[in-house]
This record gives sequence, structure tokens and C-alpha cells, in this order.
Amino acid sequence: MSGSVYYCGRPVAELSGRESAAAIGYVMQNPEQQIVTDKVWHELAFGLENLGTPRDVIARRIAETASWLGIGELYDRSAAELSGGQKQLVNLAAVLVMQPELLILDEPTAQLDPIAASGFMNAVGRLNREHGMTILMVEHRLEEAVPMCSRLMVMDGGRLIYSGEPGSVIRQLGSRPEIMCGMPAAARLSAVLGSDTDNAPVPLTVREGRELVGRYRNDVKKLPDNGYSYQIPDTPALEMKDVYFRYSRSSPDVLRGVGLSVGVGEIFCILGGNGSGKTTTLMAAAGLIKPYSGVIRVFGRKLKEYKNQSLYRNCLAMLPQDVQTVFLRNTVREELDDAGIKPEELPFDLTGLLDMHPYDLSGGEQQLAALAKVLAQKPGILLLDEPTKGLDAAAKLRISGVIRDLKKSGMTVIAVTHDVEFAAGLADRCALFFAGEAVFSGTPHEFFPENSFYTTAAVRITRGQFTGAVTVDEAAELCRINGLKAAGNGGGA
Amino acid sequence: MEGRRVRSFSEYDPAVTAVYFAAVMGLAMFSNSPAITLLSLCGALLYFFSLNGTSGGRFHLFAFLLFIILAAVNPLVSHNGTTVLLVVNDRPITLEALIYGLCSSVLITGTLYWLRCFTQIMTTDKLLRVTGFLSPKLSLVLSMAVRFVPLFGRQWQKINNAQRAMGLYREDNAIDGARGSLRVFSVLVTWALENGITTADSMEARGCGVSRRTSFHKFRLRHGDYILLAAELILFAGAASAAAAGAFDFSCYPSVTMAERDWRTYTGAAAYGLLVLLPVIIDMEARIRWSLLKPTGLALSIPERKNMP
Repeated sequence: MSGSVYYCGRPVAELSGRESAAAIGYVMQNPEQQIVTDKVWHELAFGLENLGTPRDVIARRIAETASWLGIGELYDRSAAELSGGQKQLVNLAAVLVMQPELLILDEPTAQLDPIAASGFMNAVGRLNREHGMTILMVEHRLEEAVPMCSRLMVMDGGRLIYSGEPGSVIRQLGSRPEIMCGMPAAARLSAVLGSDTDNAPVPLTVREGRELVGRYRNDVKKLPDNGYSYQIPDTPALEMKDVYFRYSRSSPDVLRGVGLSVGVGEIFCILGGNGSGKTTTLMAAAGLIKPYSGVIRVFGRKLKEYKNQSLYRNCLAMLPQDVQTVFLRNTVREELDDAGIKPEELPFDLTGLLDMHPYDLSGGEQQLAALAKVLAQKPGILLLDEPTKGLDAAAKLRISGVIRDLKKSGMTVIAVTHDVEFAAGLADRCALFFAGEAVFSGTPHEFFPENSFYTTAAVRITRGQFTGAVTVDEAAELCRINGLKAAGNGGGA
Repeated sequence: MEGRRVRSFSEYDPAVTAVYFAAVMGLAMFSNSPAITLLSLCGALLYFFSLNGTSGGRFHLFAFLLFIILAAVNPLVSHNGTTVLLVVNDRPITLEALIYGLCSSVLITGTLYWLRCFTQIMTTDKLLRVTGFLSPKLSLVLSMAVRFVPLFGRQWQKINNAQRAMGLYREDNAIDGARGSLRVFSVLVTWALENGITTADSMEARGCGVSRRTSFHKFRLRHGDYILLAAELILFAGAASAAAAGAFDFSCYPSVTMAERDWRTYTGAAAYGLLVLLPVIIDMEARIRWSLLKPTGLALSIPERKNMP
């Protein structure tokens, strides 16, 4: 390793432990593992205790920081009972009490659901806008981060390839689709439309995207129907009827009459907020929890009829949210041997990773390695819990491709996800869960254009102008068909 | 009385509470006098009832069985003493051994009830406050341990579920179950080590070890805490000095002997009796004052409700 790192003109190595701890705040990716103590108040005090700060000063700093971030009501709680988003805000507060000058954030929202991620990004944005704090953030969830930042740096293969004001960097990224695919939807739309908009500033937010779409005519509102309509397969792979579940006798129902039917060979995405019962439904389908009422059938047979763990042999397999719980061995090769599958039998390529420790892989690679292990069971139904959590846009596209290949080989895939864009691009059908039941299900084109909040950025950008444009490509297609408004006529809403 | 905060015994500063339990249990354990242990048991029972009301039946059953067993076992195994009551299997059952057994039963069940009350009112926050007095480092280690143990349990469940749904368990039988559990445990250890590295980074980034730690806590010693502490210490000193002067001396073997009762015995017993009753008295006072306060509170809350849309 060579080179040098300076903080405020001084080499970092020369800073005392006290200076670097107080002046440079660091928040990492995993909300759970950064927390040191068991109670929120103690976690907030931890850094200042280390510096030997007197009790009264600690009390005051905690009070003002917690009030500013709006986490005052968490003060007395156990860290264990917080949601992921709350944990991450506590981690941020635990750093802010030390009054840092520089905040370093390492993918702070990768493990959070979209609502919690928004909340966190909001807090970070306020720190920068209202307090002028310097923030260095590594992130690949970019829809909100890019419009907020004053400088965007793009790294590839250990080198800094672009650096500058977000709009100009995005313009240069046109030739790098694998990086461009992670940029905000408005920017991607503008890039796809390309030459039409070269002189205008690059739109970054949905609002700016709407202005861009507003410059196009809307004589053709809908993409031409190709005469194809989706048919739900006749044979069901998984059926759930009136499924009720609660964790203990006195606790409230988590599942309140879930009913859904997924056909053989479908890709079915379950969407919904935290606590809506998505993951619990998946666990019930996998036989990991026992509903107190209702029927679950897998390939026409009730779950109870699968004796002696036979459900998990050549029938059904589940990939959990935390893929680290999947690995048992020291290398990927041993994992695959253990599971009884050869690398060349896989529908994707793991050859470069075979001799690495599973924990040392990137998020996307871990997901693929874990998927390989699960596929060794040759399941007919594959259950995925948040398969895109913590992945960058390119890795998400790769996972989507793999899942499509699996579908071609006849597999039924049921995925629980927060990721609206991922579901829109992949699913045959989507279901929205709320308060323990499936509220609606339909194809992405029935589902997303009807929603005004829980929907893709492309739908939000084209609302009122076009209908049925779920992805950026569809929105761009519609813009091209319609063409720009005549000059002088533009800008009208 | 105006201006003093109404609080129950459990709401006093944890240090005051900890000193109290140490004094009550310590004295009962070091003086083996039946008078003291009996007072300790009565006080513990009263406070337990005042905390739990009529619930806690299981614990009572457990304590009762323990009491009977302990009292019964001693005369069966110890044959010292001069007064033989009956002979079983050529072995004498003596009155002295019976009394000794009863005394230790009273002591142990009393201590058990005190400990139960202690764990009920000393939450982890309060324990940390007390250990923080002794050493801020110890307090941190405890806090981390308190967090880590349930975390470990939850991760076990997660890994077990993940592995089950991937076909780790081949059959529904005990051998296969044990084999699977062993592998789950090995994943858990790997995870814990990995998790530890992140936690260590997070601690280092926040300056762990750069200087002497202070110990933050949410408590503030108030006037009332000092008064209670003083009362505890005075009563303890009264009872302990009597015990030290031999006023409660008691021995079972070879025959039951008791110290002469003089003024020390009575004042010592009175001091200890008052000491064990302190929590109940304080809680009772708080309860009465709350019930006197209630009407005003209600009157205030009614117009507020009406204003709500």
C-alpha cells in the first residue's frame, strides 16, 4: 500500500486517537453489527464515554442530537427491539454526539427498506444543507443520493474514473451502461433519449424527469398492444387459503387470512412495507412456521403430508434474507461439494470465486453463491427473501437474469422484495401485502400504473402524460413515438 | 413534604437499592441467628407481595418445596446433637439437627425471595449504573454481554431456519437433529467472529481506549436518595453492632444455646426489623400519596379530552 491520506492538511497517521475519533464520524453498512451496547441511551453515550467526557456534557449532547434527529422516544429502548432504519439512525446519532467535522458513510442504506432509507438520506441531507457538514458517502442506492450530492465520483476496478458535478458525470457515463444502470430513473431516461436533450441540464429527480417528459407530445398515450395478455398457468405450484398465524397465543395475528395461488413456472413477487407479513408468508410456505388456521398446498399436496423433511428434497427451497446464514464451509468450492452440485451444472458462472471464503465475497457474489447451494436441492419452487438487498444495480440485473433463466427451466420463483423497480422488471405477477393479507395481485402492468405512491420511478415520471410505462425503456419508447413538441410551444404543462 | 418527589422504593437510585439489598442479605447470612433470618424472610415475603400481589404462585410453590426439602434433609444426614427424638435405621434423628435445618431453610428461602425482588427491580440499566461506580470498563463489558446473548439466540434461530429450508436435516430423528445442530453451531461461531470484527471497528472509530472512560447513566442522586441511604446505613450499623457484640449468638450443636437477651438484642432486632420493612413502608407511602393526588389529575385531564376534535 502506498500514498497518503490527509485530514485538514495533516496526514491522518499524525492525528491522535482522540482527534480522529471525534472529528471523523464513521457509519457502516450493517446496522446491527455496529451497535456495541444493549440500550439506546448507552449507545449514544458510548463515544463520549470513551473520550472521558463529563456526565453533564454527555447528557446535553445526547439530548440535542436525539431531539434534532427525532429519535428521542427510542432513548430508553433496547437496541435489539429497533427496526433496521431506527438502528441506523441511532448509529448516526452515536457518531454525531461527538460533533464530527467529517462524516464517512459506507453504504448506510444498503440493508434498509426504501422508507427507512429515505428517512436516513433525509437526515444526511439536512446535516449537509443545514449544518454544512462534509459528508463522504459510498453508496449504490442512488435515486435519492445523486440529486443530493454536490460531487459525484465513480470508481471502477480500484480507480477513480469520473469525478465532478453529478450532471456532467452522468453525461460522461453514457458509454458505461453497467454503471449508468444504477443512476436515477430521470437521468437514465434522459440518457436513453440522448441527442434530443443534449443542451439541457441532466434531470436527476422525478420532478425534473417530469419536466423532461413534458417537452414531448402525448398524442400516443399508450404503447401499442402487442396482442399478448398474460395467462396464469393452470397448474398451481403453491396455494395458500385463509392462512392465519400468530407468534404466541396472546400476540396479534401476523397473517390475517392470506390467500394466493402461484402457477407452475411463474415469477411471483410479493411487495409491501415492513410488518405487512411478507416474510412470514414465505416462512409459512416453507413450513418453517405453523399457521393456526388455513391450508397451504405445494404441488397439490398439503404441507403436512410432506413427511421426514421430504418437502426440502427436490420440491421447495428457500433463500433467506441474510445469506451469510447459508454458508457452512471455508470456500465456495467446499460449499458446492457439500451441497452436491458441480460448478458447471449451474446456470451461472462462479468459476472465479470457487476458492474464496464465502464471507469475503461481495454482496452480489454472496447472493449467487448462496443461490447455487439452494439450487443443488433441485427445487421446483424457489422462495427468495429480499434477493436484492444490499446489491448494486448491475448485480440486481444479473440476479434478474439468473431468475429468468431458472423460470425457463420450469422453476417457480416466489420473491419477497421491497425493491419496486426489481419487481417491475422481473415479475410475471406482483402482490401487495398490507396488514397481514394480500390486498391486490396482478401483472406489473396492471399493478404499477394504477398505484401513485407504491410504484416505479418511470410511472411517477410519466403520470398524466402517458399510461402504462412501467420501466424507463418503455417511457423512452413512448417519448420517441410522440416526438418533441414544436419549438415555442414547449414548456407548457 | 411539599416538593419531594413521590417515588416507590424501586425508583430510588440504583446504588441506594444495591446497598440496601447487600445490607439486608449480608446481615442475614453472616449472623446465623434465627431472629434475624426470620425477620429477613418476613420482610422479603412482604416486599415480594407488595411487588407482585397475588401473582407469582409458581415461585411460592418452588420456595415452599425448597424450604421443606432443606429442613428435612439436615436431620437425615446430620446426627449431631444431644436430644434424640427417634431412631431410624440405627441412626438418631436429633432435635438440634432439625432446628439447624429449619434455620438454614429460613435463611435460604428468605435470601431467595430477596434475590427475586432484586432481579425484579434491578433492570440492566440500573446494574450498569452500579457497576459503573466500581469500574466503567466492567460496566461496558457487562452491557455488551447483555446485548450479545439474546443476539446469539436470534441468530441461531435464523441460521437453523435457513439451513432447514435448504435441506440440512435429512430425516426427522434425533441423530440427524444433533448432526444438524452441530453444523448450525459452527456457522454461528463463524458469524460471531465476523460480527465481532465489525463491532470492534465501530468501537475503534468512536475512540474506544483513547483515554480513561467515564460512565454515563440516566440517574441523578437526589435529596431523597441521600436520606434513604443514611437510613439504611444507620439501621444496618445498629443491627450489625449488636450482632458483632454477640447479642444474637446462636448455636445448635451440641445443644441449642442462645445469647442472653439484653437491651442490645432488642435494639438490634428492632433496627433490623425496620430495615427489612423499609421498601414496604416506602411503597405504601408512595401509594397513599398517589391516591391523594389522583383527583386533581383527573380534573385536569377531563377538559383536555373535550377539546379534542
